[in-house]
Amino acid sequence: MEKSVIKASICRYDPDKDKEPYFQDYEVDVAGPVTVYELLTMIHRSYDSTLAFRTYKCYKGMCTTCIVKLNGKVVKSCATQVEPNSEIRLEPPGGGQVVRDLVVDFSKM
Amino acid sequence: MDVQRFTTDVVVIGGGGAACRAAIEVSENGLDCMMLDKGRPGRSGATPCALWSIQAPFGPRGRDNRDTPDQFFEDMVRGGRFIGDQNITEIVAFDACDRILDMERYGVHFKKYDDGRFYQTPMPGQTYPRSCFMIENGQHMSTVLAKEVSRRDNIKVLKDFFVFGLLKNKDSVVGVVGMDMLSGEIVAVNAKSTVVATGGYTSMWGFSDNPPTLTGDGVAMAYRAGADIVDLEFNQYYGTDVIWPPSVRGTVVLYELMIEEFADGEITDKYGKPIIDKPLPIRDEAIKIIFNTIREGRGTEHGGVYFDTTKSPKGEEKVREVFKTMTPKHYQFLIDAAGIDLAKEPLEVAPASHYQCGGIYINERGQSTVDGLYACGECAGNFQGANRIAGTALCDTQTMGAQAGSCAAKDAKERGAAAIDEKDLESKLGVLKNFLSKKTKSIRPISIKEEILSTMDKYIAPFRDGKGMKKGLSVVESLKGEVPKISVPNIKKYNLDLMEAIEADLMMDTAELTFESALFRKESRGHHNRTDFPETDNKSWRCHTIATLKGNKPVYSKRDVIYTRIKPEDVK
Repeated sequence: MEKSVIKASICRYDPDKDKEPYFQDYEVDVAGPVTVYELLTMIHRSYDSTLAFRTYKCYKGMCTTCIVKLNGKVVKSCATQVEPNSEIRLEPPGGGQVVRDLVVDFSKM
Repeated sequence: MDVQRFTTDVVVIGGGGAACRAAIEVSENGLDCMMLDKGRPGRSGATPCALWSIQAPFGPRGRDNRDTPDQFFEDMVRGGRFIGDQNITEIVAFDACDRILDMERYGVHFKKYDDGRFYQTPMPGQTYPRSCFMIENGQHMSTVLAKEVSRRDNIKVLKDFFVFGLLKNKDSVVGVVGMDMLSGEIVAVNAKSTVVATGGYTSMWGFSDNPPTLTGDGVAMAYRAGADIVDLEFNQYYGTDVIWPPSVRGTVVLYELMIEEFADGEITDKYGKPIIDKPLPIRDEAIKIIFNTIREGRGTEHGGVYFDTTKSPKGEEKVREVFKTMTPKHYQFLIDAAGIDLAKEPLEVAPASHYQCGGIYINERGQSTVDGLYACGECAGNFQGANRIAGTALCDTQTMGAQAGSCAAKDAKERGAAAIDEKDLESKLGVLKNFLSKKTKSIRPISIKEEILSTMDKYIAPFRDGKGMKKGLSVVESLKGEVPKISVPNIKKYNLDLMEAIEADLMMDTAELTFESALFRKESRGHHNRTDFPETDNKSWRCHTIATLKGNKPVYSKRDVIYTRIKPEDVK
């Protein structure tokens, strides 16, 4: 079976350790299209235990807890698919102060 | 380790329907309340995942004027296969309408007829159509309740806050200790009454339709604090959750919409042959049918059955209308995340872990068997019995949520303040310190979590047997020994691995109790189906299964069910 890869460049920032945000590159093996949420769980599971993102999901694309900025545009990570053999950039979504990496303290409920 | 300290009258652990309603009731009683939510208020737990249905016997103020609270009571008692405690069922049945009216006052929108009566849908298990229709579903309900909580000056909410221990002073629970995920700070809250409203532990199974954060922290903590735990073997599955493709795995697809009034489609085997007759059975029956179909080799490629509306006599457009009216968000989500249009193609579905009927044993005041400790919502145990009928879970959050909040508040007024026992606090922090310490050979919490998840999937399935469960139990026992070897990165803010390590530690106890409770009960009833004891044994087993910590091991016993209005011998 042809091996496919998604290249993700993810914005990292730990206010306790880093002077400013930087991008870290990941190459994730995939078998087909995956949602951004799936991609992040795969990275957490097999590539990097330190990456911070919100794991809550509502299974219906409504709660917006999972939002991230994908290639500059804010999307719901649970409902947005990424094709194999593509390169993407992930950043925190805005809407509040960055806690760490992709986790934001949403100022409004 | 630095510990931040707070003192309050009543502390509520949770952030969903039950927690918010309990906190609101504490506030109504004029006391100070702290609500500690594992996630974001209005967007945490299972309440946001819920659909439209919340039962209340409005009768002439609703769809069918023959309906009464007595009928609602009877439906729940029968549905629970006669092992729900009726002192609690009474409160749910008779308070439901008032609690719905409260919800309306807070801002939840219900579908109404032109003359102002509540529109109600039929759902299996209801003698008369009784499910009130929340137009924007559980998400809106959660947002509205969270807003109501935030309006009140005497409720302080800590969000993204993971409570990992109940603090005891001698025989009473005097508060909690937890971790603020955003700041990384450890916080101890000293309170006169503690209400656990942490939801179920459906996400201890690999295939579940609940958020991954629902790992049953509350049940494990209450058990460790010495509270009786009840009926953990009654694990409700939802029969038709998406099993393929992975991007939408776990999304609920309502089989209740297959009735003639709605989509009029079929649940079929891999050959397209319908497997469930109408009128649709209630959940435990439907799950049995689906599970047997898969077991007999007539399941789909990925281990499910088909949810198929393509042959509905109503045609594609009308079917699409049904989904867009009844479950618009799910319908759209399947398109966005997987390119699937429910009205045009069959979908592979299978039973997934959905709800826990058992939990912390309570009385009709929401009191556990430990002084100072209360519970409500899914994490509380003994009212659903062996099977829960649709629309009662949300109803439970509002009725028993208010009840537990009210009683916790009243008792807090009588109870004097008791300080935290520093030794107890230290021992709880010791577990964290161990996870954060470097080890030469360490394990990641996710590998332990994944093993528990697959062990539960395999051995506590809709159908289970003694041999398999003993195997599962031995896996859990060996994993217990691995937990202290966990090492997590030394990060302060939002340390996902540390959160998963604590979850893994707590899950050990809940898994052990579930396996042993299921082994203890040697019969089949409702959602506990043993292939080695397939009959329902009302002579020996029309009772509760109780698990209690004695020393450092659980002991199991039977306890009588509380019957008030309907005794089993009075009915056919």
